[in-house]
Amino acid sequence: MRLLTILLTWTGLALAASEPHWAYAPLRPGPVPVAAPASEPANPHPVDAFIRSALTAQGLEPAPEADRSTLLRRLHWDLVGLPPSPEDHRRFLADAGPLAYEREIDRLLASPRYGERWARHWMDAVHFAETHGHDQDRIREQAWPYRDYLVAAFNSDRPYARFIEEQVAGDVLHAGRPEATVALGMIAAGPWDESSLRDIREDTLDRQLGRYVDRDDMIGTVMSVFNSTTVQCARCHDHKFDPIPQADYYALQAVFSGVERAHRVFDQDPSVHARRQRWMRERRQAERGDPRLLEAPATRAEVTRWVRERQSHPVRWIPWDPQTFLSAAGAGLARLPDGSLRAGGLLPERDTYTLTRPAGVQSLRAVRAVQLEVLPDESLPHLGPGRNPQNGNLHLSEIELWVFRAGAPEAQRVRWARASASFDQDGWTAAHAIDGQEKTAWGIHPQEGQAHRAVFELAEPLEAKPGDQWSLVLRQAHGGSHLIGRFRVSMTDAPGSATRVVPPDIAGVVDRDPAGWTDDERRRVTWFVVRERLREQLAALPAPSRVYAAASDFEPDASLKPSLEPRVVHRLNRGEITQPREVVGPGTLSLVEALPARFDVPPGAEEGARRAALARWLAHPDNPLTWRSIVNRVWLHHFGRGLVNTPNDFGRMGERPSHPGLLDWLAVWFRDEAGGSMKALHRLLLTSATYRQCSQARGSGAALAADPDNRWLGRMNRLRLDAECVRDGMLRISGRLDLRMGGPGDRNFDLKPGIHVTPKVDYGLFDSDGPEGRRRSVYRFLFRTLPDPWMEALDCPAGDQLVPARDNSVTLQQALALWNHEFSLRQAGHWARALESEARPAFSTSPPGASPGSSGAGIDWDRIDWAGATLWVWGRPASEPERRELDQHARRHGLASACRLLFNSNEFLFVP
Amino acid sequence: MTPDPRPPGMGSSRRDFVRQLGAGFGAVALGQLLARDQRDQPGRLDPKLLGRRPHHPPRARRVIQLFMNGGASQMDLFDHKPELFRRAGQPFDPGAGVRVEAPTSEPGKVLKPPFPMRQHGQSGRWVSDLLPHLAGCVDDLAFLMAMRSRTNVHGPASYLMNTGSLLPGFPAFGAWVSYALGSEADNLPGFVVLPDTKGLPYNQRGNFSAGFLPVAHQGTLVQAGAASPIPFLSPPASVPSVTTAASREGLELLQRWNQRHLEAQDPDSRLEARIQAYELAARMQLSAPEAFDLAAETPATRRLYGLERASSEDFGRRCLMARRLIERGVRFVQVWSGAGGPTGNWDNHGNIAKELPPMCLATDQPIAGLLHDLKARGLLEDTLVLWNTEFGRMPFAQSSEGRDHNGGTFVGWMAGAGVRPGVAHGESDEWSWKAARDVTTTYDFHATALHLLGLDHERLNLLHQGANRRLTDVHGEVIRAVLA
Repeated sequence: MRLLTILLTWTGLALAASEPHWAYAPLRPGPVPVAAPASEPANPHPVDAFIRSALTAQGLEPAPEADRSTLLRRLHWDLVGLPPSPEDHRRFLADAGPLAYEREIDRLLASPRYGERWARHWMDAVHFAETHGHDQDRIREQAWPYRDYLVAAFNSDRPYARFIEEQVAGDVLHAGRPEATVALGMIAAGPWDESSLRDIREDTLDRQLGRYVDRDDMIGTVMSVFNSTTVQCARCHDHKFDPIPQADYYALQAVFSGVERAHRVFDQDPSVHARRQRWMRERRQAERGDPRLLEAPATRAEVTRWVRERQSHPVRWIPWDPQTFLSAAGAGLARLPDGSLRAGGLLPERDTYTLTRPAGVQSLRAVRAVQLEVLPDESLPHLGPGRNPQNGNLHLSEIELWVFRAGAPEAQRVRWARASASFDQDGWTAAHAIDGQEKTAWGIHPQEGQAHRAVFELAEPLEAKPGDQWSLVLRQAHGGSHLIGRFRVSMTDAPGSATRVVPPDIAGVVDRDPAGWTDDERRRVTWFVVRERLREQLAALPAPSRVYAAASDFEPDASLKPSLEPRVVHRLNRGEITQPREVVGPGTLSLVEALPARFDVPPGAEEGARRAALARWLAHPDNPLTWRSIVNRVWLHHFGRGLVNTPNDFGRMGERPSHPGLLDWLAVWFRDEAGGSMKALHRLLLTSATYRQCSQARGSGAALAADPDNRWLGRMNRLRLDAECVRDGMLRISGRLDLRMGGPGDRNFDLKPGIHVTPKVDYGLFDSDGPEGRRRSVYRFLFRTLPDPWMEALDCPAGDQLVPARDNSVTLQQALALWNHEFSLRQAGHWARALESEARPAFSTSPPGASPGSSGAGIDWDRIDWAGATLWVWGRPASEPERRELDQHARRHGLASACRLLFNSNEFLFVP
Repeated sequence: MTPDPRPPGMGSSRRDFVRQLGAGFGAVALGQLLARDQRDQPGRLDPKLLGRRPHHPPRARRVIQLFMNGGASQMDLFDHKPELFRRAGQPFDPGAGVRVEAPTSEPGKVLKPPFPMRQHGQSGRWVSDLLPHLAGCVDDLAFLMAMRSRTNVHGPASYLMNTGSLLPGFPAFGAWVSYALGSEADNLPGFVVLPDTKGLPYNQRGNFSAGFLPVAHQGTLVQAGAASPIPFLSPPASVPSVTTAASREGLELLQRWNQRHLEAQDPDSRLEARIQAYELAARMQLSAPEAFDLAAETPATRRLYGLERASSEDFGRRCLMARRLIERGVRFVQVWSGAGGPTGNWDNHGNIAKELPPMCLATDQPIAGLLHDLKARGLLEDTLVLWNTEFGRMPFAQSSEGRDHNGGTFVGWMAGAGVRPGVAHGESDEWSWKAARDVTTTYDFHATALHLLGLDHERLNLLHQGANRRLTDVHGEVIRAVLA
C-alpha cells in the first residue's frame, strides 16, 4: 500500500513536470472553427461553430430545432425555475417576430425570479444550510441574509470578479458596501462542530483538531467552488495526482486562520456601516496595541485634549445623607459615623434599598454625577463589601434616581448618561446597572474584601427645586444574596470628563501633566481614552443587523472567542495534529504559474489582508482556473452536462474537457467581452442552436449508439426537474405561490426544544397550507441534519457536502412522496378548486368551500379548461383522447384526483 | 460530481439504456429502484463500477448493527482492570510526565467500576453483572478490546464510526453496503434505521445519509410503532378525499400516459424506471406493513426479546423488527440505543452507578434474545451482528461519579457470519485509558466488516471531488484474528 502511494506520487509529479495539465495552463481560446459544409450559415453562433465542428469530426449531425413550446418551457425552467403559464404560451406562440425568442430570454433575465433560481444553484455549490450540523445542530438565526445577498447579486448581475471578491474578502475590498460583508456568509455556509469549537475545554487537542478541520471545510469550499480544485487531498501529504504540495494546503489554512464562523454585525445604511466598521477596526487596533493608531498624531492630540478637559474640572464629592433608608426585603440598614450605611439582620435572596431626602446637595447648584462607594466591613462575609455568604460579592442590578416634585402626581426618573467603576467583574460592569435590565448587574468578583466605587453620570444636570424629594433606588435582583453590605453615596457638579472612574493603572497618571508621562504611561492612557471613545461611539449607533459569516470580530460565545491575531498554522506531518512541523504563512496554490503563490502580507496586518490577497488571486484575469470553472458551471446547468463533467475537479482525476477550445473561448469571452456578466453568458448560451436542439437524436438509434453519453451534444439532454422546480411549479400551478422575497427562512416543520441543543423538528406536524408553506423553495429554512424528506426524495441536498450538480435519481421513495405526501395532495386540491371556480357557472348555488371534486355538484364539466391545465404541466394542450380520459377520471373521482395524476406524470417531471 | 455515481441501470439515461438492450430492460429498471442485488446479472454492470460486485466469496450476506449512542463505558462493561480497584480514589497519573486531558472536564481521581465483573463461558470473557443475558453468549462473540477513535467529541466521533469521516457529508456504512450489494428485498429498502423512540442519535440523520452515493442508499428511517413505518406509504388521513379507488384507477391512467410518453421518446431508462416505481409503490403499500407487524410473533419469541418488560420493551421490539427485516431481504439494519442529548443514553458524565444500569437493562435481554433467535433460525450463519459505540470513557472520574469521553480505547464486538467466536483481540493499557496492543481503528473495524461481506475496502470506492473515496479513507487493515 505504501509503495503504491509513493509510486503514484512519483508518477503524478513526474507527469506534472513533463506535460502541463490542461487546467493549469494559461487560457488558450481556440480560433472559432469555420464551418466546412456550404449549408452552414456563413457567420454561425460561436458556440455552434465549436460544437458542430466536433460533431462533424465524430461523424455526427445536430438534431433539428425543438418546437417553440418546448423551447419556452426550457427557458422558463432554466432561468426562473417556474413553468410558463398558458398565457405565456399563447403570447409566445403568437409573437412571430424574428427576435421573439431573444425577447423572452431578456424578459426572464429581468425577472426577480431569475435570482431566486440561480441563487439556489450557488447555495448547493457552497453547501449552505441554516443549522450547524454535527451533534449540536443549533439554528443559525441570521444565516438567511447571505441567501438574500445571492438572490440580489444574481438579479443585479454582479460582475463575476466582484462576486468572488465580496464572498472571500468583501469586508476588506468593498468595506463601504454592507452587502459585501453579508457575502462572507459563503465562508461560513458549511457545517460547524459546536462541541469541539465552543464547548469542550480549550486546552485540548480535540479543540485544535476541530480548528484545523473547520478551516479545511472553508478552504475546500472556496477552492472547489472558484477554482474547481480539490486541495483537501493535500492535507496529509502532497497531492497524489495534482501538483499541490502540502505546503500550499497549509498556506491556505493560514489565509483563514484569523476567522471563525459567527454572527457578525453589519448595517443596512452604508454610512452607518462604514462608521461602525471603521470604529470596530480601530477597537481591534487598540486591543492589539497597534502603534499606527495609538501613536498617530491625531490620537496624541485626542489624549491631550481629554486630559486637559479632565484636569480643568476638579471634582468635589459632597456626601449625600438620606433622611430615610429602607430595605424592601426587611434587612436592617444602619448609619455609621462615616456617613455610610450598613446592612445586617435578615439575609434575603434579593433586595431593594430606597434612600430619600429633600432635593439638593449643599453648596452644589446642580448635580451631574452620583458616586456609590461600596466598603469592606468586619461584619460582612469575607469582609464584604457584599453580603453573599460564599465570597462577599454583590450584584447591583439597577440604580435609579427619582424626583418627587411637590404637587406632581408622579415621580420623574432621572436619565443616566454613563457609568464607570474602579473595578468591574468580567461580564458584570457598572454599565449593566443602568441598562434597564434586571438580569444584568454590576459585580466585583474576585476583588471582594476591598473598597470599590462606581460613578453614574446624569444625562442632564439636575437642579434642586424647593419642596422636591430625591430618592435613590438600588435594585439587587440577582438572587443568592448578592446584596450590598456597606455603602456610601455622594454627589458632584463636575462634568463626566472629570468624574469618570479610570482604571487603577492610570488613576494617578491622568492627574499629572502629559508632558511628564513616561512612554508606558502614555500608552496606557491612550489605550484607555481611545477605547472609551470607541465604546461610546459604537454605543451611539443604531442597532446593527447581523449575518452568520466569516468573522474576526464578534461577541464571544462561551469559549468561542475572536482571535486578535491570525492563529499560527503549522504544517501537520501526515495531517496529524500531534505532529506539527514548520509554521506556514498565508498563500495559495503554486500551480498557477502566472501569479505568486505566497502572499506578501506585512506582519501585524489584520487577518483580512490575507483573505483580500486570496480574493485578488482568485479573481485575477490570469488565473485560468477561475474563468474555466465558472463558464463550465453555467454550461452544466443549461445543458445538463459540463464541458468538463467534474465541475469541482479539474485535476488529473477529473474529466478532460470535451471541447477544450470552446471552454477556453467561453472563459476568455466571459472575462473580457462580457465583463464577467452572468446574464450575458446565459444569453450567449441560450441563443445557440445547440441549446435549441430537440432532445430526439437525428436518426435515433445509430446516433444514440455512437454517443450514448451525449458528450458531443448532437441533441439536447432531457432534464428532470429538480426538487425546487417541482415544489415551486406545483405551488404556481395550484395558484398558491406567494412571491414575497427575502427575510428569515420559512420553517416548514414543527419546532420544539430538544433534550439538549438540537431542537426537535417534525415535518409531519407542519401545515403546508399555512403562510410559511407557500413561498418559493429558496426561502425554506434549511435544517442540516434533518432535511425535508419530500425535498430530499427529489435529490435536494442537505448542506453537508458541496453539490456542484444535483443527482436526478428515480426512486421508490420519490414516487411515494409525489404520490402520497400531504403537500402534493393539497396542491392538487388547490389546483382543482381553481379549475373548478373557472368552470362553475356564475349562477351556481353550490355552497362556498365545498370540497372540490368530492361532489362535483354545480360543476359544468364541459367548461373545465383541460387545455390550459395541460399547458401548465406538459407544455401542450391535451389531445382529444387525453381530454376524454381526464374528464372521465375527474367525473368519477373528482378534479383533485385528476390534478394529482398530472403532477405525477413523466411529462411534467422531465423537460425534453 | 463524479462521472456517474449511480448504480448500474440508474445512469444518465440513454447510455445505460443502450448498454442494457437485450438484457431484459424491465428487470433492470426494477433492480435500480431498490438497488437490488444484481450479482446474478453480471452482464449488466457498468464496467466502471465493477468494483462494486463482491470481490471475494462473502461470509455474511446481511448486517444488524446495534449502536450504543453516547460512548458506552468499556471498563465498566467488558474491559476488566484490577488497577482501577487498586488505585481507586488516587490521582490519575500514567507516569512519565504524560499530559492527561479530558474533553469536557478537569481529570478527577481514579474511579473503579461500581459493579462486579466476572469471567464467563469457555472463553472466560469478563462481563459486568449488569449484562447477565449477554454474559451467557460470550462464546459466540469476538471482542475488539482495543478500539481507537480519532476524537473525543460526539459529533465527529459518531460520524467517524458511522461514515469513516470526521466531517458530515460522507456515506454511511450501511449506505456503502447497500450500494455495493443492493437489496434482496422486492418491497423494502436496502438500509433501514431503527432509532430509539426517545429520539434520533447525535448527528441525527447525518449518521445514516447516503452522502455522495445515490439517495436510494440512504438509511430509511423507520419509526417503530408509527402508523406508517415507511414514509408516505399511503395518503395521509388529513386528505380524506383520496380514495383507494381513485388511487387505483388513477395509477392505471397515469401509467397509460407514461407508457405512451415513453414510446414517443428516444429510449430513456429514467422514464421507464418511474413507471416501475409507481407499480412497486402500489405493491409496497400492501406488503410492507406486514414486515413491521410483530403480532405474528409467538409469545415465546416476544419474551425472548424482553418485550414483556417495560424497561426492555422498546429496544426489544426493534431488535425483533430487525430480525423480521433481514429475513425479508433488507441488507443492513441499524438499531440505536439512546437518543442525542445529555441523559437517557450511554453518555454517562454524571454518575456511572446511576446512569449505566438502565441502559444495560434496556438492551441486555433483547440483544441476547436476538443472538439466540438468529442462531435458532440458522440466520446467524450468514448474518453479521455488530455491537458498537462511538468511543469509550475515562478511567478517572468526572466530578466524582461519572466519566468523560475517551476516544483512546473502547470495546466493540462482532458475532455471526464468518466471525471467529469466543476470541478477544487487542488490549488496552493497565487503566483502560489508551489502546495498547493490537489496536483496532474505526477504519480497521469497517475494513473487517466489509471483508466479511465479500468486499475489499480498498476496491469499494467512488471517485468524488478529486479522490477515490471509500469508507476507510486511506486507512484500514482487516483484523484477521476475528475471522473464523
